[in-house]
Amino acid sequence: MIDFDEETPRRPFETVVPLINIVFLLLIFFMLAGTLQPTDDIEVDLPAGVVDDKRASEDVVLYVEADGFVHLGDLVMDAALAPYMLRKFLDDGGIFNVAIKADENAPAHSLIQLMEGLRNVGVREVNLVTEQSE
Amino acid sequence: MFDVPVHKKRIVSLTPLIDVVFLLLIFFMLATSFIQTQALAVLTPAPSPEEVETDRHVVEVWVLSDGTHRLDGEVITLETLSDGIRRNLGGDPEAVVSILVEKGAAVQPLIGAIEAARNGGAQSIGTSRVEKIR
Repeated sequence: MIDFDEETPRRPFETVVPLINIVFLLLIFFMLAGTLQPTDDIEVDLPAGVVDDKRASEDVVLYVEADGFVHLGDLVMDAALAPYMLRKFLDDGGIFNVAIKADENAPAHSLIQLMEGLRNVGVREVNLVTEQSE
Repeated sequence: MFDVPVHKKRIVSLTPLIDVVFLLLIFFMLATSFIQTQALAVLTPAPSPEEVETDRHVVEVWVLSDGTHRLDGEVITLETLSDGIRRNLGGDPEAVVSILVEKGAAVQPLIGAIEAARNGGAQSIGTSRVEKIR
């Protein structure tokens, strides 16, 4: 009979160390390179753009979905109705820095209707959020 | 007298550490976003005709429902739109670029037209919606 070794040789402890090094490296990379942002629960594909007018802060972000529906906070409505709801929605905080995240495939008429409504309540300028195009 | 406690040096297992680091890595990989967003400042359209000044030189950009652009009635591509706008503005600082959006057009061509007007040197840009162009 041939003799087989009963015990398989124990793997040397050091082999895990390079793995941990790489994982640590990746961890530090993602911690430093990425930015943590609150996730939007409303799905919008932002349009591509190049012009950037950085503004310090936005008081409120409105969303225009691909099907043209407008989100004002928790309220979802047709773009034609949004101008009537804006006054009540914005008056509470005296909000004038407004950003709009509009889907790239949303009807432009919905966006313009929303902007007309914003003008009616005294917002003269809005920030359209775009994604950096290559 | 007293027993001197003997601390036996034991090798601390690295496995829980690696587990936690992996967990952190996965968290940061999923939670970080690398998408750079930017803001495009746009004046909201005047809802009433009285607010629109009529004695200025106007350059008209049409955004048709199929996503193509017209500059003062002529077919133009998005790439040449900003040069065309600059040419038609003729260096008039008072001139207005008026962007008319046909019903059915998406947001992306509108953003493209606004950015082209900005790059073309337009000082004031107006947007308005029309049911049908021609």
